[in-house]
Amino acid sequence: MATGFLTDTTVCIGCKACEVACKQWNQIPADGYELTGDSYDNTKQLSGTTWRHVAFIENPKKRRLTGDVDLVALAEDVREQLPGGAELDALGRWSFMSDVCKHCVEAPCQQSCPTGAIIRNEFDNVYIQPDVCNGCGYCVPACPYGVITQVPDDGRAFKCTLCYDRQRDGMEPACAKACPTNSIMFGEVEELERVAEERVATLHARGYTQAFIYGTPEVGGTGGIGGNHSKFILLDDPETYNLASHPFMPQAKVKGALVTSAIAAGVLGAVVALAFRD
Amino acid sequence: MTDVTQESRQQHNGRVETSHHPKTDPQRGDKDYYGIPPIKKAHWTWQIPIYFWIGGIAAGVQLFTTLANVLGHKDQALTRIGRYTALVTMILSPILLIWDLGRPERFYNMMRIWKLRSPMSNQSWALVVYGNLSGLIAARQAAEDGLLGGNPLSRAMIKLVPARLLGILALPVALFVGSNTGTLLSATSVPIWARNWALMGPTFLASGVSTALSYLSLVLNLGRWGEKRTHHVLRRAERLTILVETALIAASLVRMGRWGKPLFSKKIAPLFVGGTLLTGIAAPFALLFGKETRGKSILASVLALLGGLAFRFAVVHSGRESADDPEAYFTFASKENAPEPEDSI
Repeated sequence: MATGFLTDTTVCIGCKACEVACKQWNQIPADGYELTGDSYDNTKQLSGTTWRHVAFIENPKKRRLTGDVDLVALAEDVREQLPGGAELDALGRWSFMSDVCKHCVEAPCQQSCPTGAIIRNEFDNVYIQPDVCNGCGYCVPACPYGVITQVPDDGRAFKCTLCYDRQRDGMEPACAKACPTNSIMFGEVEELERVAEERVATLHARGYTQAFIYGTPEVGGTGGIGGNHSKFILLDDPETYNLASHPFMPQAKVKGALVTSAIAAGVLGAVVALAFRD
Repeated sequence: MTDVTQESRQQHNGRVETSHHPKTDPQRGDKDYYGIPPIKKAHWTWQIPIYFWIGGIAAGVQLFTTLANVLGHKDQALTRIGRYTALVTMILSPILLIWDLGRPERFYNMMRIWKLRSPMSNQSWALVVYGNLSGLIAARQAAEDGLLGGNPLSRAMIKLVPARLLGILALPVALFVGSNTGTLLSATSVPIWARNWALMGPTFLASGVSTALSYLSLVLNLGRWGEKRTHHVLRRAERLTILVETALIAASLVRMGRWGKPLFSKKIAPLFVGGTLLTGIAAPFALLFGKETRGKSILASVLALLGGLAFRFAVVHSGRESADDPEAYFTFASKENAPEPEDSI
């Protein structure tokens, strides 16, 4: 049985309860108090000490505010012709997205890990064993989503464990538990895939035709990664949320690189041998 | 209609100003999600480029001394320097690598598993194998040189350790160490490294052989050791190797294309253009022609060694800039450009 997340960004309200619940449950150290000025986002990105991160995207529609603007009508999303020649097409949309480790089906971080600290546990989640990791840092540039970093004071690499301890006790992860709008759903991957497809179909029917699932082998879990166990329902280009549209498995070319290196070794050997001929 | 709204509309192509996602705020110079890097750079500090340099020297020294041995060129000084150098590099390499770990006391966890798809794992095991072989070979050399005294152990060592055979066996492992320093970087999500996966290993190996030949020439010149023919061969081999290295670097730049830009950035261009291309390749190549003098040889060797070191730092630092550039990663990890497992190149 594989478990995972489905994060439906269309109902996220940007409350950051997931960030707080995650920090508190997993006893992750603080990141300091930095004010970025980037909307309401002050934690910026996922890292070894931020395992859930809420992105804030202020995304106004094009508005033409001319004439005598009726602010009540504006707030109530009135689309008809307004008195005094005022035109508007509703309030801007504010997008939030609670990002998390993607728990890849074929995880680049796991493939890169030279100590075997990164494993798939019994819930088929990608899990870093903190008692094995020696802080080599090779998983950090391997991750196509920028999820893992080495925690400086500790030396080891950390990321979302999908609340392995809570799952062992039959509970859902802290972030999903804390989410007040059920934007973060936890469950079996197959079940969540079904939920996601239904939700996207509903959104399409309601006119949000741009809605799609991120984390499938077609979008987000591409290039040999084989899809993600944490999926997202997005309403905009992946890049808007700081996600690549077509990530790839960096280790896919290791065998090819060995072949080209062997050829190069042969050529260099021949070149040096040539120098021995008088 | 307020003046403020009118003003912001005119400035921003009819869009109302909000705070401040780059997609909707035309005044922001950065792109995508507030310009925050979508992938993370490696933390590796100065120990890693220096290790890459030393590993390359180890590979090249093993290549040259083994070939000299196999091709029947007997030069005691060359053999001795080659064997002791291999041991020294294999003592320094693990020290540097363990130093850079977040938890150095757990270095031995690298030895609890062997993963063929993890270049870091392969590298660790290659260092174990090559380190042990070079240790054995150097021990026999030390016994021959009388450094271990005249005890029975050192006599047994001379009798039992087949140094020539071990040297030949060690050669592929050493060459793997030299090339895998490049492959290790290419198996990441960093655009400038991942794009050039086919040539990273070969380029690092060619540069490694070039620095190794310079190193041997430098040591032999400084000690006034070695036969005349050894110096001639080293000089010829270095000229040819520099040509191979130049071709590989040129091909790498073509392959990297737009993602190779960090190599020419304000911070890295002095290392790459000044350090690698001019100091490490062009200048020694020019010095290797014309009359062969000791001074010129020493200068060429020093420059090539420094150039090789600059090359390692340039490549590692350019990877940091590449990882920090959202535009580079998003254009690379897109449908047209992302590498697919089934692609041949």
